[in-house]
Amino acid sequence: MTAYVVRRLLWLPVLLVIVIFITFVLGTYGPGDPVEVRLGTKANPEAVARLRTQMGLDRPFVVQFADYVGGVVRGDFGDSYRYQGRTVLELILPRMWVSAQLNLAALLLVVAIGIPLGMAAARFQGRWLDPAIVTGIVFISSLPVLITGPLFLLVFVVLLKLVPSAGWGGLFDTRIIIPAVAIAVPGLALIVRVMRTSTLEVLSQDYVRTAYAKGLTPGIISRRHVARNAFLPVLTMLGFSVAGLIGGTIIGETIFGIPGIGRLAFESIFNRDYPVIMGITIIGAATFVLANLLIDVAYTFLDPRIRY
Amino acid sequence: MKTSVRGWLLPVVLSVMVVAAGCLGGSSRSRGTSTPAGPTPGATQPGARPQATATPTPRAASQRASGGTFTRLWADPPTLDPHLTSDTTSAGLVVEIFSGLVALDTDLKIIPDIAERWDVSGGGSVYTFRLRDGVKFQDGKAVKAADIKYSFERVLDPRTESPVADTYMNDIVGAQDKLKGLVREVRGVRVVDERTLEVTIDAPKPYFIAKLTYPTAYVVDRQNVESGPGWTNKPNATGPFKLAEWVPGQRLVLERNQHFYRGVAKLERVHFILSGGVPMTMYENNEIDFTGVGQAELDRVLNPNDPLNKELLRGDPSFDVSYIGFHVGKPPFDDKKVRQAFTLAIDKETIAKEVLSSLVVPAYGVLPPGFPGHNPSISGLRFDPVQAKKLLAESKYGGPEKLPRIIMTVPGTGGTVGLDTEVILEMWKQNLGVTVEVQQTEWATYLQDLNRQRFQMFGGLGWNADYPDPQDFMDILFHSKSFNNHGAYKNLEVDRLLELARVEQDSDKRIKLYQDAEQTVVEDAAWIPLWYTGERFVLIKSYIKGYKLTRLIVPKLKDVSIERP
Amino acid sequence: MVEPVQNPAEVARRRPAQGHWSRAWHRLLGKKVALASLVVIIGIYTSGIFAPLIAPYDYSTQDLTQTRRGPSLEHPFGTDRLGRDLLSRVIYGLRTTVIVSVASVVSGALFMGVALGLVSGYFGKRVDSLIMRTGEVSAAFPEILLLILLAATMRPRILDFVRGIEDSFGFRGLVQTGIVDYFVIALAVAAFSWFGMARLVRGQVLSLRSAEFVDAARALGAPTSRILFSHLLPNISGLIIVVITLGLGGAAGSEFILSFLGIGVQPPVPSLGAMVAEGFGIGNLSLLRQYPHLILFPIGVIFLLLFAFNLLGDALADVFNPKTR
Repeated sequence: MTAYVVRRLLWLPVLLVIVIFITFVLGTYGPGDPVEVRLGTKANPEAVARLRTQMGLDRPFVVQFADYVGGVVRGDFGDSYRYQGRTVLELILPRMWVSAQLNLAALLLVVAIGIPLGMAAARFQGRWLDPAIVTGIVFISSLPVLITGPLFLLVFVVLLKLVPSAGWGGLFDTRIIIPAVAIAVPGLALIVRVMRTSTLEVLSQDYVRTAYAKGLTPGIISRRHVARNAFLPVLTMLGFSVAGLIGGTIIGETIFGIPGIGRLAFESIFNRDYPVIMGITIIGAATFVLANLLIDVAYTFLDPRIRY
Repeated sequence: MKTSVRGWLLPVVLSVMVVAAGCLGGSSRSRGTSTPAGPTPGATQPGARPQATATPTPRAASQRASGGTFTRLWADPPTLDPHLTSDTTSAGLVVEIFSGLVALDTDLKIIPDIAERWDVSGGGSVYTFRLRDGVKFQDGKAVKAADIKYSFERVLDPRTESPVADTYMNDIVGAQDKLKGLVREVRGVRVVDERTLEVTIDAPKPYFIAKLTYPTAYVVDRQNVESGPGWTNKPNATGPFKLAEWVPGQRLVLERNQHFYRGVAKLERVHFILSGGVPMTMYENNEIDFTGVGQAELDRVLNPNDPLNKELLRGDPSFDVSYIGFHVGKPPFDDKKVRQAFTLAIDKETIAKEVLSSLVVPAYGVLPPGFPGHNPSISGLRFDPVQAKKLLAESKYGGPEKLPRIIMTVPGTGGTVGLDTEVILEMWKQNLGVTVEVQQTEWATYLQDLNRQRFQMFGGLGWNADYPDPQDFMDILFHSKSFNNHGAYKNLEVDRLLELARVEQDSDKRIKLYQDAEQTVVEDAAWIPLWYTGERFVLIKSYIKGYKLTRLIVPKLKDVSIERP
Repeated sequence: MVEPVQNPAEVARRRPAQGHWSRAWHRLLGKKVALASLVVIIGIYTSGIFAPLIAPYDYSTQDLTQTRRGPSLEHPFGTDRLGRDLLSRVIYGLRTTVIVSVASVVSGALFMGVALGLVSGYFGKRVDSLIMRTGEVSAAFPEILLLILLAATMRPRILDFVRGIEDSFGFRGLVQTGIVDYFVIALAVAAFSWFGMARLVRGQVLSLRSAEFVDAARALGAPTSRILFSHLLPNISGLIIVVITLGLGGAAGSEFILSFLGIGVQPPVPSLGAMVAEGFGIGNLSLLRQYPHLILFPIGVIFLLLFAFNLLGDALADVFNPKTR
């Protein structure tokens, strides 16, 4: 087990170097130049050349690459090209934190609503409530955030005036509710479906039927036997969500005025703000791999049959 | 045993998640990410009447006309360092925090700022600035001529990496040398005494003083700058407002500077929301006091029966011109008749009215209305489809079938290339029988190719003024040796006119020179001028007084006040 | 009394073949919701594919006297800001959606994903490691970044390249039809979607690898390719079908979002996301109030498609899963 974890962890730096390399290549040899973008249409070539030299952009590829990797190892991700004087970390970490909180709120909502609904749908299989729940949830989930976002804004903010439309106050501020709901909705369908399928599978297992035969009430059976076992595939789904926890969602952030990482990521590409792009890529990739590893490890605790 | 292991794990995991969220959420709250302090009317519960913003002290009554917070949306500025400012997002803030020798007032006249007057001598090449008495930095320290010299030296220092120093300061003698790293000090800037500064430029250029109104020439405090790379987070500047708070991505708050030498601001605070949101929704929800009006809301806002109509503020347009450029070296645009044909085939009046809801004014010249040198009677190339076809037939290509492939490149990543572009393409098809392919390219790539003159025909660009002088348009765009002449336009007569205008001291003669050059450029169809921005519309709450829409970025917030009934 | 011996041929003739597939199909027929979804999908796909035949107008015919009109007899969906018929534009937009989503799913999830998943699961060890690690690299990249990088920045260069080819061969129009654009986007999307499928397929293969029928086939000397394609593949085909169905829906959604953000298919090729961006901005409720048809029709259509795919995929998952009948 430990050997497995160690092996996976050793892979992480290798993956990161590969990721950095690919992004570096795309950035250096792809079209577009950060200095030209900064100077815009009124640039003059002398200023461009001068700035490029100052910023170290005319050094050979290998030198720049090695320099950057060396910096990252020391925890120095450099300064942003666009936001003068700000380090990459100071730009992206607060925003990733905001996105993480938002995603966490959405995740909790999805779990809190999706799991009971999925179990309920399974329980009512064969009756009208099952397809009704599933179809209803799928209906709502198929609506893009682009529609649900402004719709919620319209109903809850403009018409009912419950909360302000934009801004960010942290996880426990009321302003997080509507964006969290809007972001949670598309994910509901999957959780409900998986939970339902998984519950049905468990319900058809022998040991459940034995429990019924023993005379245990459906309530106890639900809690003790069904829920835990049905939860396993859902955990996989949640795992994917956790892996993307610090990912931003540009549409939601723009509509609700949330200072998350989505918009910064989007803009950085168009601004050719390479240090920021690299920073987001590296931290994103590292989080993804670590989260996957955690999920895989968690699996071994939940299902002892799984062994590495 | 198995069940018990799994049994306790799940609730533990879940509760850990919740507890973690709690701790982390709580600490982020204490970090002060959201503090709707008293004087921010926008942040109170929507629907509630905005509170009186003055603090409840006995002075409240007299403070009612002065004080309060003005809230609006803004974007995260790339920088607050005036010497690095090259975009409007930064400039809009920098002009309120910093200041320089001269400034533009809200009517765009050059006014003395830190300098109380200046004399021009040496045939127009020497400027002697006399500093005002009592000018202080925001920490109370007095501003001396040496501080101005320091600021000029700093912006011209290659290590400062200023992207705009070349454009704005290059006329000063010795500036080029310092930028290239050849000298340590700029010869053309000399401290005469504590309150007098002498600046020498390389030729008697009358537009030099206009350039000094731009942030590149603003004053910074040496101690402040040398305190470290984060100095822009706590700038010690000379402008009407101090930077009170800046949480990147969330908000930026300015506070009145009590030491301001040209009259203390009436507002106590200005709150810029950086995190975004849907502007109209926020405005109607009283979260912001000001918003621009886009084409979508225009009908609603212009309707006299709509309550929003009372809060409509109209302003003169900013100085810009949108255009389509030709590369005069690439076929088929190497033939003037082809260029003229393409220009004549566009019905600008219809597009402006039908498609763009009259938000723009068709342009037939380069200089926008209201701009110095604008020629309202310029004839230009007006819509004439018959003549257009004729010219195309007369060109060396003989007609639409023999034309090589034509690609127009536009910048952007929108879902559409722009409605006007789409209509123009259609008009070329209908009126000339030519199918032009359009290619939309994202900005950075577009810019790179534009600077290398790779485009045959390029559109979607606008050119706007940085300072109120025709040199900013005509010279920079159409002089054959200019780097911003993206279409490789070369006309020796135009060059001659422009070079004469650079040093002509008589302003009427100068204007005439520029207008002649403009006439030639338009006849040569180097460009197709498309639109000038039309009237601008903004919504502003009725309790905000004194806000003026200006055509360039100038400091204006110190005259804004809040009056609540 | 002993039963007379039956002739096997006769028996086979009398009992209709009840193979794996027909059983599944029959089960699907019983689910009305799924059938309705299937009909909707087929309807939408057909309109998309046969757009030039079905659309009443060309997607770029402008009429500046009839801008922004609501639905009418002449224009059932109304007209947009340049007087173009919205119904036709929606149909052509569907064509874009169909082409891009099918191309990306087929190349990505279907070919690459299944193939690599099979190989990875069956051969295990080094090959498995290599494929899974590569997949992890592609999955670890924040998707939006690479998509923009590929689609937005590489696209102009690719288009220039294709135009160069066109010029040297003396023909035009290839780039104009938008085919190149479709492929650039489809490939960009495929580059990210193969890993999901590969991982699922690999999982199944891993569990089936030690099944008896595989051992038997190997014992009989069947070549590896036959084992993979004739034995393993049919057993996981149910899973593949479900994933493909959901994948088609997801790809359609991705295409919509990409075009909405402006990095999908570029104009003048029409696209539903672009139409919504033009008509709606990001949450501009005033526009919704003024010209609802400009927004509701394109969004309604894409929503319908997504909804149908989700329901169908769900039903198929039930159909192929032995435990949820």
